[in-house]
Amino acid sequence: MESPLHHFEVHTIIPIHIGGLDLSINNAIVAMWVGLAIVAGAFMLVVSRGVNPVPGKLQSVLEVALEFIRSMVYEFIGEEEGKKYVPFIATLFLFILACNLIGLVPGSYTITSQVAVTGAIAVGIFIMTLVIGFGKHGMHFFGILVPPGIPKIMIPLMIPIEIISMLARPISLAVRLFANMTAGHTVLAVLFGLAMTGPLWLGWLPFSFTIVINGLEIAIAFIQAYIFTTLTCVYIGDVIKLH
Amino acid sequence: MSKNDGLRQGMQIAFKLGTELTVATLIGALMGYGIDNLLGTRPWGLAAGVILGGAAGSLNVYRAAMLLVIEEDDNNS
Repeated sequence: MESPLHHFEVHTIIPIHIGGLDLSINNAIVAMWVGLAIVAGAFMLVVSRGVNPVPGKLQSVLEVALEFIRSMVYEFIGEEEGKKYVPFIATLFLFILACNLIGLVPGSYTITSQVAVTGAIAVGIFIMTLVIGFGKHGMHFFGILVPPGIPKIMIPLMIPIEIISMLARPISLAVRLFANMTAGHTVLAVLFGLAMTGPLWLGWLPFSFTIVINGLEIAIAFIQAYIFTTLTCVYIGDVIKLH
Repeated sequence: MSKNDGLRQGMQIAFKLGTELTVATLIGALMGYGIDNLLGTRPWGLAAGVILGGAAGSLNVYRAAMLLVIEEDDNNS
């Protein structure tokens, strides 16, 4: 009987060691490449066919996705400032969505269930917001640590609180995506394990549950990608507007 | 289906707010612990860190909840 956490294990496929660094190609990296290939391939296909004024099936799906993301960015960042962040947010959303959905294919690997991956994305976004903030406001950026309209006597107390709440953002961003994906897939694996080990007259019950949970997982894949990108927009918007 | 959707959305919101509070408290505690180790002021740094972290977590939860209220207002209008 395999452990329900078996499918989170990373297996090396092509070992590459350069100067003490382990750069091996493993199943997680392959799954990530597949995710990138699907997202990039879908757009390449549409563009290479020529963008029609009357969209085909694939083109209309992608147009709806991009318009959805654009309206989200405009809502949280603002129309003028938000324009240059639309490509980044769209890439982030589509990549996370593709990774989440690939994980649902049996036998594949869920990259977003690795805290290293989600953490790297979240820390990258955190550093990006700092760079945007300092680039836009210079030293005035430290004003984000003092919320507007608080009495002066509260300022020494609010600064550490604001610092902690800033630092908590990337971690809660990373942990949320990672925990949701890991929990959902573990539940699926446990239910499959029950279905496979139980006798047939009992095994159909957990098996039908896996079908229901699979539908739920597809919804969660969308919701988590949406939450991740919304919060990224909110954080970028916060740094640009400074309250 | 719509009732089920509401439940699922509620769970998502609860989980989202829960992580905000937990993570901020943990970070506050870790920072307090680090300050203790650096300055040798055990256990006061940890105590202050947990309280400040909890305050920061509450602030984050408040901000996230306000965001949800705005979204709901948008949907209604």
